[in-house]
Amino acid sequence: MATSLVERKRALLAILALVVVSPLFGIVGAELVGYHEPLDLAAEVLGREEVEGLWWSPFPDYTVPGLAEDWLSLSLGYVISGVIGVCVILAVGIVLSRLVKR
Amino acid sequence: MHVHIPDGFLDPVTAGACYAVFIAYTAYAIYRSRALMDQETSILASLLAAGIFAAQMLNWPLPGGTSLHMVGGGLAGILLGPWLGELTMFLVLLVQCLLFHDGGITALGANVLNMGIVDVLLGYALFRLLTKRGGGKRTRALAGAFLGGWLGIALAGIACGLEIGYSPAFPYGVAISVPVMGLWHFGLGLIEGAVTALVVDYLMRKSPSLILSLR
Repeated sequence: MATSLVERKRALLAILALVVVSPLFGIVGAELVGYHEPLDLAAEVLGREEVEGLWWSPFPDYTVPGLAEDWLSLSLGYVISGVIGVCVILAVGIVLSRLVKR
Repeated sequence: MHVHIPDGFLDPVTAGACYAVFIAYTAYAIYRSRALMDQETSILASLLAAGIFAAQMLNWPLPGGTSLHMVGGGLAGILLGPWLGELTMFLVLLVQCLLFHDGGITALGANVLNMGIVDVLLGYALFRLLTKRGGGKRTRALAGAFLGGWLGIALAGIACGLEIGYSPAFPYGVAISVPVMGLWHFGLGLIEGAVTALVVDYLMRKSPSLILSLR
């Protein structure tokens, strides 16, 4: 068996399509229905807070630091975050494929 | 519904116990996967991980303050089996935790246990159970993938409820957290089941060699 290059290309295009449309759900849709994380809501009701600062993340909650807070910039940051995440994961795969036996 | 547990929701004992299970399972998964890892499989697994990561970003908000997104553990189990499937989900969850603060670092063990072990194992087991005997292959595969995707999520939700409920840090006990998380995921998991079935059906027709658990 071998994933052909065509299959890989098709998979990459599908992944890219998912990332590009994702702000429609994650940002725009969330804005429309006033979405909050259920676990965050529960924490608020109970007077507890998510413990921040245990770990530093470069793109917290899929935002790119320095970008504005309007929905267009948030959407852009969301897509950039998505592309970065996909690239990091694929890079791990490529490194692994170099390490394993041929 | 979002099942990534943030930092501060689990007490140290629960978080530690989940970490122990996660580390033991992952170590064994690496050991078991070494034999079947080749260049092709590494690329295939990372493509699936990237796809699951991207699919999880489609966070479908529902009125009333909840949301729905794919988890993909059942799919990973069906396509890659219980060992490589877990490693694939671990990669997704690790990247989400480290780069995007999605799921806490102290809760990584619990998140891998729910989405990378419980969900993966159930997806794999139900799919294998239904496809083991031939006859009406397509229907059986569709049913197995649907049940695996659906019940995998339901059980992952129950596991999440147990971990949160048993943490003294969270004032609601398991009597509330388990039914709430379980019922939500039992309902929302139907969509996960349907998507899992569609993806598996598509791959079975287009590139059946990609479904490692059928080999």
